[in-house]
Amino acid sequence: MHIKSLFYFFKEALRGIVRNGWMSIASMGVVSITLLILGSFVVLSFNVDLVTHDLKEDVQIVLYIDEKANEGTRAVLHSKLVAHPQVSEVRFVDKEEAMGRLKEKLGDRSRLLEGYEKPEDNPLRDSYELRTSIPEEISAVAAQIESYPGVAEVDYGSGVVEPLFQFTGLVRWIGLAFMAGLAVTTVFLIAHTIRLTVYVRRKEIMIMKYVGATDWFIRWPFLFEGLILGLIGAVIPVIVIFYGYQAAALWMRSNIYFVSLLPPEKIVEKVVKILLPLGVALGIVGSTISVRRFLRV
Amino acid sequence: MIEIHHLYKKYGSDVHVLEDINLTIDRGEFVFVVGSSGAGKSTLLKLLLREILPTKGFIKVFGRDITRLRKREIPYFRRNIGMIFQDFRLLEDRNVFENVAFSLRVIGVSTREINKRVPLTLKLVGLQDKALKNPGELSGGEQQRVCVARAIVNRPAVVLADEPTGNLDPNTSMEIMKLLHDINVRGTTVIVATHAKELVDYFQKRVVVLEGNRVISDRERGVYLNAY
Ligand SMILES: Nc1ncnc2c1ncn2[C@@H]1O[C@H](COP(=O)(O)OP(=O)(O)OP(=O)(O)O)[C@@H](O)[C@H]1O
Ligand SMILES: [Mg+2]
Repeated sequence: MHIKSLFYFFKEALRGIVRNGWMSIASMGVVSITLLILGSFVVLSFNVDLVTHDLKEDVQIVLYIDEKANEGTRAVLHSKLVAHPQVSEVRFVDKEEAMGRLKEKLGDRSRLLEGYEKPEDNPLRDSYELRTSIPEEISAVAAQIESYPGVAEVDYGSGVVEPLFQFTGLVRWIGLAFMAGLAVTTVFLIAHTIRLTVYVRRKEIMIMKYVGATDWFIRWPFLFEGLILGLIGAVIPVIVIFYGYQAAALWMRSNIYFVSLLPPEKIVEKVVKILLPLGVALGIVGSTISVRRFLRV
Repeated sequence: MIEIHHLYKKYGSDVHVLEDINLTIDRGEFVFVVGSSGAGKSTLLKLLLREILPTKGFIKVFGRDITRLRKREIPYFRRNIGMIFQDFRLLEDRNVFENVAFSLRVIGVSTREINKRVPLTLKLVGLQDKALKNPGELSGGEQQRVCVARAIVNRPAVVLADEPTGNLDPNTSMEIMKLLHDINVRGTTVIVATHAKELVDYFQKRVVVLEGNRVISDRERGVYLNAY
């Protein structure tokens, strides 16, 4: 393809877009809305990932040892924990250390602990702190470990972790389903817009065929038209997301300190990488459908 | 240059339009194709342009059987043939220059070449002063001249005209036919399907009469038959 022809196709495509006016705006609008929703999900899921990642770091199993367990049982338990394939980290916390932590936690109110300080009066139990290599498997691992010898109790912050994982999974699936529906609508609308151009330009197309323009020469402007519609439709949500996110991040920083968000530049980079190719792809798929069904060249 | 052998064309399964047509047209000939409405004149021209395929038989143009052209060869074949229509088929949103240039642009001719050839062609058809007018601002005869210019600007070996004067008054029709005659004198083969009896009789060229699905007469220096 010549540069000159490229320029010609581009010009013809723009002509088509301008001529179709509202229809072009509608298709770009639908592309924009689809990609804006997709983009928002992307932003959300990157940040949820970040937060859950932080949370996952904190997720651990605490295993309390039965006070009545003898040295032999304890040794067996230790070796079984170390040998467990899903357990990535094993840390023993004796009851003195536990008492120390508790004191620190209570701070000013540590006087409450007076009278329990001597080792023989310490009501706390020795324990293990375990991490699993895959955070999502924590409950399964905890269930297995519960039956090990010398185990009094297993605690892993259930009730917090699992719903969170379930929630992020759900959000992702709903988002995907929603997006698939919108993508189909988008392709349909672009195809319809291009069809309108084909219709408006049927006389030109007929003349082109009579004077010997090649089929591809006739097709390219329509493919370009779809491509441009998709591309503009993708650029709009990128801009909206960038400024929207910047404002949101600013607000979050000054109002909710403890949540750390990805910086806007990073988000935009990720969003651009997803939205632009997708917009172009939607545009090309839409125009290809139209060219194949209505152009008949 | 054009050989038509035992050509049959039917539309659908029972509309027989052409049956056993045999014709040979040499380089530089001027041929009128006449016949009553529905005789198959337009169908014959469409076959020559490879717009449609025959049911049987073959058509050789420049020594090549065009019924066997591959799909992607068709555009290149058509660049050797100029087509003129009764209804002009000009692009209303472009001026005369651009209408003529259009047929060169879409086959990849350079702008420089276009700027050279289009004015020459417009001069040839007598429209050098109307280059920047839109088709809507022209008379019927002038519009048909634009159509002629568009058909010949690529210097095709053959020009096909389907009732080029059908929408024009007698005087203007004569002018257009003279223009086609000029083009023929310059070496282009011209085939004109027409109902214009006076013009056919005036020019005394070869006349092929289509009637009842067949060629019933084919004479040099012929006249329009009054048989129907
Ligand atoms: N696409 C088509 N499908 C079916 N029948 C067709 C088609 N095109 C033409 N015909 C029929 O074929 C016959 C010949 O048509 P054609 O247009 O070739 O005639 P013509 O000689 O050009 O007539 P006219 O002088 O009125 O232009 C007519 O009876 C017409 O109805
Ligand atoms: Mg006809």
